Amino acid sequence: MTLSDQEKLRYSRHLNLPMFGLEVQEKLKNSKVLVVGTGGLGAPMLQYLTAVGVGTIGVVDFDVVDESNLQRQVLFGSHDIGKSKTSVAIAKLKLQNPFVTFLEFNVKLEASNALAIIEQFDAVADGTDNFPTRYLVNDACVLTGKPNIYASIYRFEGQVSVFNWINNEGLLGPNYRDIFPTPPPPGMVPNCAEGGVLGVLPGIIGSIQASEVIKVLTGIGAPLSGKLFLFDVLDFSTRVLNIKRDPLNPLNGIIPSITELIDYEEFCGLKQLTTIEVLAPQDLHRRILEGEALCLIDVREEEEFHQANIGGKWIPLNEIERRFDEIPKSGTVVLICKSGQRSATAIRRLIDQQGYQNLCNLEGGLIAWKRVISPDLNLF
Amino acid sequence: MAKVKFTSALQRFFPGLEGAYFEGDSVQSIIQSIEVRYPGIQHYLLEEDGKLRRHVNIFLGNEMILDRNQLSDPVTDSDEILIFQALSGG
Repeated sequence: MTLSDQEKLRYSRHLNLPMFGLEVQEKLKNSKVLVVGTGGLGAPMLQYLTAVGVGTIGVVDFDVVDESNLQRQVLFGSHDIGKSKTSVAIAKLKLQNPFVTFLEFNVKLEASNALAIIEQFDAVADGTDNFPTRYLVNDACVLTGKPNIYASIYRFEGQVSVFNWINNEGLLGPNYRDIFPTPPPPGMVPNCAEGGVLGVLPGIIGSIQASEVIKVLTGIGAPLSGKLFLFDVLDFSTRVLNIKRDPLNPLNGIIPSITELIDYEEFCGLKQLTTIEVLAPQDLHRRILEGEALCLIDVREEEEFHQANIGGKWIPLNEIERRFDEIPKSGTVVLICKSGQRSATAIRRLIDQQGYQNLCNLEGGLIAWKRVISPDLNLF
Repeated sequence: MAKVKFTSALQRFFPGLEGAYFEGDSVQSIIQSIEVRYPGIQHYLLEEDGKLRRHVNIFLGNEMILDRNQLSDPVTDSDEILIFQALSGG
């Protein structure tokens, strides 16, 4: 497909850019990229990839907009809270550039659908927020032969690389498993919900990721293949590390042992084998009013607890195993966090490691409590 | 004495952790020196059998260490060591 006169006007700053020009712009127009995740990294990436005129952009996310997203996910506003991220994002991006085709995947990317989705695209940009999906995207890209433009963030730090890219000499570059062969044990590397992230950081890292996508799609410059870019906002340090293919890589080393996608929740130690008893906010509220002697344990971070809580003892998730002797083994103990996920993790650890039988989880966490019982609760 | 820098993500578990010079002529002895100042960090970085945990990585200069099992890569005073880990956030 060639550019219309209106598109030539729109992309004129590219057309007179050395090394770019009409031919490269048309390459972009005829390219298809899949952006996995519309969050902190996905938002700036999608906006720039739309602006520069990538022809087809696939957008994957299963989540809805939450108020706590708005500090960094610049595609969304207050009026979008509760709406599907993919539909809000695509509606806005279409207004930004009507010459781009968007493919919406309002689903959770899983082993059962990843290959069929990824096969439709020339490249994949990984902006997800969890280890199971990162390994899924990596493995699916290796199995389908697609380059994976990777970025991740935490607090003040970012990482960027281009995985599974074949250079002009036909040599295949490393992938995620060449640097991190297996994921960390659950709880050893916190996510941004637990540890926080500076609002502007995903804007910086997501923009760098977008520029790598453009380089991969068009062939200009030298993509960050075989290199890992590190950035730290606090001391403004940058570093480019050299990474190599590992002969023991289970995907494409000397003796590959992974030839199809696996169960990534299980691989990351997150498979929920333990049955957890739950307590709805209205039931907890009723039992408190009835004067039942319940033990409440709040497992959120210190700042979250001090911002707003409903009483009880504060034991953050990463201290739960060390301080289990503070948690009674008789009577009902209710574990609490913001959404119910961290408290479920705490319960699993206490059951599996200490044999607790008296724990239950506040269903939906304090978000549900705020909605059902206490709208004035001032949650982060 | 080699200069060691840590990913700031490790500060979550070791709040006072800061880059500094540590004694040692191999990656293993450097980690032992770090353990003296930050008790418990060795358990975070290494498996029970002394191998580097698979989600952690160590670079000498800009190159990944070669020996993840014994951590025998030699270190000189002019080397800069980076200890970092996978990040999941997006």
